[in-house]
Amino acid sequence: MDVLLSLTITDLKVRYGRGGWQLVKWIADPFALVGVYLVLVTLVLDRPGEAPGLSLACAVIPFQLVTMTVVNAMSAVAERGSIVLNMGFNRTLIPLSGTLTETVAFGASLLLLAVLMAVYGVPPTLAALWLPVVILVTLVLAVGIAYPAALLGVWMPDVGNFVMSFVRVLFFIAPGLIPLSQISGDAHDLLLINPMTGLFESFRDALLYGDSPGAFELLYPAGLGLALLAVFVPVFRTEQHQFAKILEP
Amino acid sequence: MTEASSRARRTTASIEADGLGVRFLFDGQQRAVTPALARLRRRGSESWGLHGLDFRIGPGDGVALIGASGSGKTTLLRLVAGVLSPDTGRLDMTGSVGSLLSVEAGLHGLLTGRENAVLLGVLAGMSRAESQAALDEIKTDTRLEEAFDRPVLSYSEGMRARLGFAVADYANPDILVLDEVHEALDHEFRQIVAERAHKTLQDGGIVMAAGHDHPLLATFCDRALWLSDGQIAADGPFDEVRREYLEEVV
Repeated sequence: MDVLLSLTITDLKVRYGRGGWQLVKWIADPFALVGVYLVLVTLVLDRPGEAPGLSLACAVIPFQLVTMTVVNAMSAVAERGSIVLNMGFNRTLIPLSGTLTETVAFGASLLLLAVLMAVYGVPPTLAALWLPVVILVTLVLAVGIAYPAALLGVWMPDVGNFVMSFVRVLFFIAPGLIPLSQISGDAHDLLLINPMTGLFESFRDALLYGDSPGAFELLYPAGLGLALLAVFVPVFRTEQHQFAKILEP
Repeated sequence: MTEASSRARRTTASIEADGLGVRFLFDGQQRAVTPALARLRRRGSESWGLHGLDFRIGPGDGVALIGASGSGKTTLLRLVAGVLSPDTGRLDMTGSVGSLLSVEAGLHGLLTGRENAVLLGVLAGMSRAESQAALDEIKTDTRLEEAFDRPVLSYSEGMRARLGFAVADYANPDILVLDEVHEALDHEFRQIVAERAHKTLQDGGIVMAAGHDHPLLATFCDRALWLSDGQIAADGPFDEVRREYLEEVV
């Protein structure tokens, strides 16, 4: 636990620096990340619908956690190359600590959801009690993806840009800009294959619609995350003692 | 070192290698790959960094690794430090390991000396509380003074090596592994490294060190392993093995 904590704390210090500005950067980060989408949807596209900014934030915020976890994981081993090459320790903690770092950043973005609920006059309902469960499922999927992403970052660091493009596409083949309820036909069914769909809709259910998330919306991404962990953590554990050969052949 | 040297231990450390080998795999474009990835690639090649090593190192042994660049010294030290695992054979070890395998010493440039010291202490086996409690002593030992709270990016090679060594030393390892880094240190700190190495040996620990500064290695190593193309060319008293090596290469 101490190793995990120390890796995460140092990661956060590298990202947010030290002193009073730490908190400001932490809070400003998600606003800056989500802000561009909000401006696009609420001002440029001028979309109709129920609280479009909040609906969008319910998609962008969990998506950012997954995306940033992949970004972090892809370079996680190389970024820690100096310690990986210098001493023996449990390297399977590296992707997990990267996810924790992104989770702390994600925590600040929850403030944004509260602000948008206030702006659109959407009162919290009992369904908001589902939020911790929805967040937990988001984290399970994020950490599940972190392990194959970290391995890919070691095995094939040159495919980083391709992977990021693929992850970005996941946003657009999910009900990110438009809620699932406004999509019909085959597209509606196909979007359900994307695990992001369940996450986006679960956030909307809990915070916007005042409904309980559907079982499939939560179980599918959670199951996928757990399946990825079951497959890739053992692979990572086996591969960790080979990293030094790749980082410095 | 100050109080670190006075902390008592000790176990009887040992390292035993039996048919030890490390294999490097490459894909068709000669990029290094892991065995898992190599299975997915049709074409590739391999080379052995170490092959068929047999040796035993007991408590109180100071062992220098000598040999040309690329002979396998760093690979062997990485095995002992737990950075790599053997692809063939067995490496049995008793005792905790403290390693300094590069001047970077596991340091992160954007973190301060203090922050790096906490992280390295925890990775070396201390709890966060122990690691934080050790900071004053480590700061004194490194003689970094106010630079201890500056980002490591601003440090010279010697300052980095001093910080890395001080943390590794504070963890009080039974087996101390050094790879050329002591050669980046100033003369005063080299003396401290040599003293620390002697203390480790007296307490029943092991020191393994690689480098090209043979007089420095001779101060704490009475035995040498000469590595050539990943195999042991000679193993014996330091002066004898060094003479054989120099006769071969000079």
